[in-house]
Amino acid sequence: MKLPALPAFIPRDFPQPLARLVAKLPTWPASRSFVIAANLAAWPSLRELDWSQVFGRRFRVHVRDAGLKLYFSLHADGFRAEREGPCDVTFTATTADFARLALRLEDPDTLFFNRRLLIEGDTNLGLTVKNMLDAVELETAAAGMPAGFGRIVLNLRRMATQN
Amino acid sequence: MSAPPLLELICPAGSLPALKAAVDNGADGVYLGLKDNTNARNFAGLNFDDKSLTEGIRYAQTKRRKVLMALNTYPQPATLPRWHKAVDTAASLGVDAIILADPGLMAYARKTHPQLRLHLSVQGSATSYEAVNFYRERFGIQRAVLPRVLSLAQVENVIANTDAEIELFGFGGLCVMVEGRCLLSSYACGDSPNTFGACSPGHAVRWEQTPKGMETRLNGVLIDRYADNEKAGYPTLCKGRFEVQGETYYALEEPTSLNSMEMLPEMARLGVAAIKIEGRQRSPAYVAQVTQVWRAAIDAVKKDRTAFKPQPAWLAALAKVSEGSMNTLGAYYRPWK
Amino acid sequence: MKLSLGPLLYYWSREDTLAFYEQAATWPLDIVYLGETVCSRRHLLRLPDWLELAEKFSAAGKEVVLSSQTLIESESDLKALRKLIANGREDGKRFKVEANEWGAVRLLAEAGREFVAGPTLNTYNPDTLDMLAEMGATRWVPPVEMPRTMIKEMLAALPSASNGAARLETELFGYGRLPLAFSARCFTARHYNLQKDDCQFRCLDHPDGLVLASREGEDFLAINGIQTQSARVMSLAHRFDELDTAGIDVLRLSPQSRQMERIVAIYRALADGDIAPKEAPAQLDRLMPAAPCDGYWLGEAGMAYHPAP
Repeated sequence: MKLPALPAFIPRDFPQPLARLVAKLPTWPASRSFVIAANLAAWPSLRELDWSQVFGRRFRVHVRDAGLKLYFSLHADGFRAEREGPCDVTFTATTADFARLALRLEDPDTLFFNRRLLIEGDTNLGLTVKNMLDAVELETAAAGMPAGFGRIVLNLRRMATQN
Repeated sequence: MSAPPLLELICPAGSLPALKAAVDNGADGVYLGLKDNTNARNFAGLNFDDKSLTEGIRYAQTKRRKVLMALNTYPQPATLPRWHKAVDTAASLGVDAIILADPGLMAYARKTHPQLRLHLSVQGSATSYEAVNFYRERFGIQRAVLPRVLSLAQVENVIANTDAEIELFGFGGLCVMVEGRCLLSSYACGDSPNTFGACSPGHAVRWEQTPKGMETRLNGVLIDRYADNEKAGYPTLCKGRFEVQGETYYALEEPTSLNSMEMLPEMARLGVAAIKIEGRQRSPAYVAQVTQVWRAAIDAVKKDRTAFKPQPAWLAALAKVSEGSMNTLGAYYRPWK
Repeated sequence: MKLSLGPLLYYWSREDTLAFYEQAATWPLDIVYLGETVCSRRHLLRLPDWLELAEKFSAAGKEVVLSSQTLIESESDLKALRKLIANGREDGKRFKVEANEWGAVRLLAEAGREFVAGPTLNTYNPDTLDMLAEMGATRWVPPVEMPRTMIKEMLAALPSASNGAARLETELFGYGRLPLAFSARCFTARHYNLQKDDCQFRCLDHPDGLVLASREGEDFLAINGIQTQSARVMSLAHRFDELDTAGIDVLRLSPQSRQMERIVAIYRALADGDIAPKEAPAQLDRLMPAAPCDGYWLGEAGMAYHPAP
């Protein structure tokens, strides 16, 4: 039985000099870009669920190999970028592992056991988000994405499960 | 009368996508719970509300798979109506069975919904046929899930002395304690599986990367610290490292998962009705991967019991998703018995 | 308030066990629980020995209850259980039995015997409690994690209590290391790298359990063969006033290897009103094998402790 691997163009090893450079950049522009993309691609399907218990909480996503830290929060109208600072919960993993999680190719607990995913801060908040994301059906989510984008996501997943 | 079930594959569903993953990958039945403490996987964001439950039941039953609802915590006086309502919901939505641990709740279910099929949960701690037969005679339970503490020889003795179907755990997280008889979690943080529906609930857990390693704390108590290259386990007390007489080690149990696959032929011979896969807290990805492997294995055993051997690829796939990435036969195999 | 001596949870030498009970016969106790509840391999005292002790306590005017094993795994465990329940005496009477799992409840109810519903039956609601009463329970011991508020709610909602037909006594685990979990594995044997079936009875070396500390040196749990206990000692002496109002009829004191006589004496003095609850902690302090806890009673983490009510 083949285990899902990622399509080749998703970087497995982020170039270290580039990562060091990224780590020195201000986090705001990256957080802004992330939030714009998330509101466009993910929010239309995510908003079907009741996220009120996580509204206003500060999240940090630390993409370890890219040296990238994203700060944001969630509100009734979608994601908002946040300034760098203390957060309620921090998720840490590599680019490739975040991609695997987003595409439903990998189980978060498996990554946790293998020390590839770390949840620091308010564990309950972290688990809430993890479990609620699991409750969103990828097909439904893809259908809610802007034209073409949803198909790309599903194709990526298909490529990964078939290779 | 139809033939008694043999090695039904019962898979976990913590969400609708997980339920669909189980059904699509060959589960004979799924088990699930509601979004509150009426079941023993009461974690934030997990489980089913009326809408997803209705949709899940429709999805599974259209494909002739069973839906079993776990109501396997112990109702408490102030909130007893919540459990009664959950039983009523299960009956009205047409689940195939409810899985209960508490005798008082069984009495309610029996009286209110006499047609509703009852299973005895592993949380009922029934380890002998005398205990199983208590629930069978008094409430007509049709199936009992045995705690993961018996050897297969002991399981055989239970099966020989009861009419109830017997379900065993096949794979997944492993309670080293007798289920329903463990208060370690509430001793540390106030909430136990029996009453709160979770062991080491999220609100009491803190993970932190420190210069000494990744630390896991439960209500402030350091239960383990992992070096960078070490595999981690769930933040449960039974899988923590402690110091006993100057020696620091996994004093109760290593982070490890149960995998009883190599015993499937023996379980088939004994007439074990169903095999349960643990993991309602896991993602749809896990459910899909594990269900697929176990479907293949059970089909192989049913085809030819004597020639059955777990394929290396199956074992590798299971090892990959395991806690601590290790497997054990648990209590089923005790060489010294 | 009646005082009971709970079943001995540890494994002591035959001499030590007999000496302990020899003394206990003279202590101001109302009820004594006898028998092995933890491990079927422990055999230094067998049923006839326990029955002999039972007769002695009975002759000394104490109520005697035989406690059944909590984890029943094999046919020989069941055989021992049936013998314990039968426990024939010469006068045709039988000692009452504490049922610690539902197989024992079934056998006792079948035989039409009155019994004590032990703490591991998981009696968490009035429906289950009422059913136990109807099946023959005359006393129940709540799960050790049950808070006082819930015990009150249980008793208030109990149908048989309100009609007075069956007076069900409530017995609380009030003193001792809390029995928290049971396993098929033996953690004491594991500590010595021994197989359970060749454990060399190492429990004998740990008369109050083997303490397990966090990696920061905090005493946390105690292992006692297949049982896991709290390292801290549950103690409700300073809250003795609260017991009556919660409807507690019997307070259970769990045996420890040393100073048990003085522990019993302090609780007796509390029950008789000879000392005030607030004076008790200072007297108990030097007699306990570890620090106290009372969190469960207050509905908090079991390990918590609040000195002043």
